[in-house]
Amino acid sequence: MYVWIWRRLPGGVPGKLLGCLVLLFAVLVLLFKLVFPWAEKRLPFNDVTVDPTTTTSTPTPSPSGSP
Amino acid sequence: MTDLAVESRHAGGHSGDGLRMAARGIGQLLITAGVLILLFVAYELWGTGFYTQAQQHNLETTIQHQWSGGSAPDVSTLSVDNVRLGTGIAVLFIPRLGRHYHFVVVEGTGFSDLQRGPGHYPGTALPGQVGNFAVAGHRTTYLHPFKDIANLRRGDYVVLETKNHWFTYRIEDIPGTNIPWKEIVQPTAVQVAYPVPDQPDPGKTPTLKLLTFTSCHPEYSARERYVIHAMLVSDTLKPALPPALTTNPRG
Repeated sequence: MYVWIWRRLPGGVPGKLLGCLVLLFAVLVLLFKLVFPWAEKRLPFNDVTVDPTTTTSTPTPSPSGSP
Repeated sequence: MTDLAVESRHAGGHSGDGLRMAARGIGQLLITAGVLILLFVAYELWGTGFYTQAQQHNLETTIQHQWSGGSAPDVSTLSVDNVRLGTGIAVLFIPRLGRHYHFVVVEGTGFSDLQRGPGHYPGTALPGQVGNFAVAGHRTTYLHPFKDIANLRRGDYVVLETKNHWFTYRIEDIPGTNIPWKEIVQPTAVQVAYPVPDQPDPGKTPTLKLLTFTSCHPEYSARERYVIHAMLVSDTLKPALPPALTTNPRG
């Protein structure tokens, strides 16, 4: 996969290196801005509240106020 | 990229080449997956903190601005239904967790509220009021306000700053009740945040002024909840400072 990308990047070795950096940066931005925030809501690491429903979704305290 | 040498040897095209290509592909895929998971862990443990840091800064600016303006009432005089979700309601100090430890408590315990700081369970008592001021906070992510919750000890102080007051709570077994200073409970144990905690009736009329923290337990897990209870011991009117903040907690 990485060989395939390297072969298709233009501009000789310096151009290829630059291309790699740009791609790497784009992938990191995508991960940290979109993928990770999306994934963490589906994982239970951030559950800190007491809640009658044991699901990992966002806890919503009842309107009466008993959380 | 170190595959170039291997590549040239492939030129002849033997039957093993396909297998080798597949093995290399799978190897690269596994390494990529490993790096992805490590990045995700880094994001959770540190990356999320940057967001909370910025949000806390905004909340702090806003709340100080509100307090310095004359008209806004002190949060301890409000009814529990009159606080908007997502707003900062008080500043939390825990001397045991450091001289500079302070967080603006946000109204609400939804995912987005807790991303911004420790969150107050809506509908539970406000600072200084009769009932139970219940607060949830992250232990490992989002600047982990309750990272060191397990370091809290019986007798430690928790101070809430509002516009005109410093409310000092002391962590202790609540006198005359069965409420312990610390407990580890199931995630469904909502009774820890009731106005009168740790009994079955959420509607029971409270007489004491209590404070409750909830966070996840064990650390890096969410199997259980770590819970701390405290009781109001003093109400200091500003500009005087509460004794809990002027003495050394470790002394």
